[in-house]
Amino acid sequence: MNEKLHPFHIMILIYMNQTGVVIMSLPHLLAENFGYNGWLGVILISLVVNLNIFIISIVYRLGKGKSIFQIMESSLPRVITFPIYMILIGVWSMTGCMVIKNYVYIYQIMSYNTTHAMLLKLLIDIIAYLLIIKGIYTISKAATSFFWITSWMLLLQLFFIKDFEWARLTPFLFKGDTHFLTGGFIVFTAFLGYELCFMLFPYADNPKKFIKSVYKGNLITTLTYLIFCLICFGFYSFEQIRNMMYPLLDLLSYIRLPFIERIENLLFGFFLFTTIVSVVLYSWSAQETFARIVPKANKKVLAFIILTFGYIVAWFPDTLSEVGQWLQYLGYAELGVAFGLPLLLILILVIHKGAKPS
Amino acid sequence: MRTMPKAAALLLVIVIIAGCGDQRILEKQGFIQSTGYDLNGTKNDEKDNRLMITVDIPKSDPEQRMQRETLTAIAHSSKEAKILFAGQTELSLVSGQLRSTLFGVSLAKTGIWKHIDTLVRDPSISQRVKIVVVNGRAHDLLVRDYPQHPRAGQYIDRMLEKESALMSFPLVTIYDFSRDYFDDGIEPIAPIIRENKKNISFDGIALFKKDRYITKIESKQSLIFSMMKQNFKKGEISMKLGDGSKKQEYLLFSSVISNRNVKVKRSTKGNFNIQINIVVKGSVLEYSGSHELSKDYDRKKIEKRMAEYIENEAAALMATMQKHNVDSLGIGRNVRNSLSYEEWNKLDWNKEYPDADIRISARIVIKDFGKFK
Repeated sequence: MNEKLHPFHIMILIYMNQTGVVIMSLPHLLAENFGYNGWLGVILISLVVNLNIFIISIVYRLGKGKSIFQIMESSLPRVITFPIYMILIGVWSMTGCMVIKNYVYIYQIMSYNTTHAMLLKLLIDIIAYLLIIKGIYTISKAATSFFWITSWMLLLQLFFIKDFEWARLTPFLFKGDTHFLTGGFIVFTAFLGYELCFMLFPYADNPKKFIKSVYKGNLITTLTYLIFCLICFGFYSFEQIRNMMYPLLDLLSYIRLPFIERIENLLFGFFLFTTIVSVVLYSWSAQETFARIVPKANKKVLAFIILTFGYIVAWFPDTLSEVGQWLQYLGYAELGVAFGLPLLLILILVIHKGAKPS
Repeated sequence: MRTMPKAAALLLVIVIIAGCGDQRILEKQGFIQSTGYDLNGTKNDEKDNRLMITVDIPKSDPEQRMQRETLTAIAHSSKEAKILFAGQTELSLVSGQLRSTLFGVSLAKTGIWKHIDTLVRDPSISQRVKIVVVNGRAHDLLVRDYPQHPRAGQYIDRMLEKESALMSFPLVTIYDFSRDYFDDGIEPIAPIIRENKKNISFDGIALFKKDRYITKIESKQSLIFSMMKQNFKKGEISMKLGDGSKKQEYLLFSSVISNRNVKVKRSTKGNFNIQINIVVKGSVLEYSGSHELSKDYDRKKIEKRMAEYIENEAAALMATMQKHNVDSLGIGRNVRNSLSYEEWNKLDWNKEYPDADIRISARIVIKDFGKFK
């Protein structure tokens, strides 16, 4: 518990947690729900995220850096905190495992088509487990090195400048067949992950810079999404994006180096790094919550129970679209947590006029 | 910590075992390099809607004499054909190294999207697979051997790569075709090739309406077409300059850098006035006329005549495209981008296009004329 997180690491952790598999289909989701020039929808959603971070920052300020569990337990009876914790554990552990299953299923479109998906998932689960039991400090260090391993991929977008045409973007803004509300929710799931910053309250090294680095993390995510989606909208025609399930996969398969082509299998492997951070952080949060219910238990055992629970649940959805459905519903639940939990905490803190001095 | 080596060993075992699940042994794979699609039936026999599908597979086995294998099957779809192929060869066929797909012209006339759709859907197929129309039958062109050239698939592939770099013909990939197919302001194109006695040659540019082949542009006009369609560098064009009375002059314009822009105006009546401006810079390395290239005055004259030549050729091309109602240049995109969404939705560009007033003006700059006066 002595080791604290540097603001830079928090920024990277938030960014890595936000980006995951949804980026595969993000341009498609934007075109389908926001219409022409839907890539600008990224900015709208990012603003909502900023609002949410602002709400969380109020909790942080009022709570004077206390962990959310301490705030809740200080004023709520166990009868109320217990179901809240159970919901949190359920949502977080299932989100973690579904993200892996989604990654595995998309991976299987390309290779290992007939290998059992759950075997591949098990491999990723083992890596995730080894990381989770090391605690948040090591997780954030790992996330930072994963960030450097994957960040060069942004440069791959230079390949598409030659065929990029502004004319394809059209001057129409958010026109065509649009679904702002449902679409907004779906696209929002691409940004989820920032909300776990409320789990990091007790670990912040520098209280003044903590919230700032969360904003910065979200800013990096927004810029990454924005540039990537802009490239897609100018590289493909609008109707085409609406028809493509995973524009990112198609983009990757377009890359050709003088000595090699069709390197998308290799490149897709790198997305495991961004995905696994999300999985690890969600499962770690679930484990921390679980530890509140059974404070005396060994955390390694708890992490094992959570991943096993997730693994069993992950057997149920059997197709890629089912996994997508599950992830979407879990995303909605997580959205409720992201907004609902901080609001509840603010309510508690206001009633108690700030955190009691510990 | 003692559990760590054990866990690592377990992980290693699992990783290695997972590799046994889906094996691909290189020698047992047949990498399809080119696929040809033709209509099976003749025109008189319209009931037969099956396809004749041909694949060209290079072989790397040094013990075998044959450099390649070609397979042909008659089936309703390419995936069905793949199952039929499997029964004809000892290799397991994979399409990860597919480089070009050839469509017979009679099939292209009936529409090719459903065949390209399976290519787009299949994740093992590259976005860079080339689309080519064959003037004749793709099967005949693919199965033949051309003694002076590499095997057909590679021959076509290399020729396309080389020539498209010089802009003599367009390189159209699955990506290009499907992008323009879905765009509402442009129609797709593809190069056409033809089988000759000894070789294969470029035969022009196929113009599509959605996915149906409509008409073609002759190969010698393809550079003019490119000038009208896009900005590019490289390429050379030979021009026949005549001023009516005098004898004809020939000129070779090379190292061409061409830029174009399109201006759209709408008259009060609602008609479109579209102006395509082309600016071409390059060097003259061959000129058979009476003017002297080194004199500024003469050179300006030649530039003017060259511009006239390009304007005339371009106007003729434009007339053909408007007559067949194919907007292969993507003028619809410029029109779309000059309107609001509601106006564009109301407008039926298909109807407007044949009657639109489209003018082309060209300006030529002779940058240099070689190292001799």
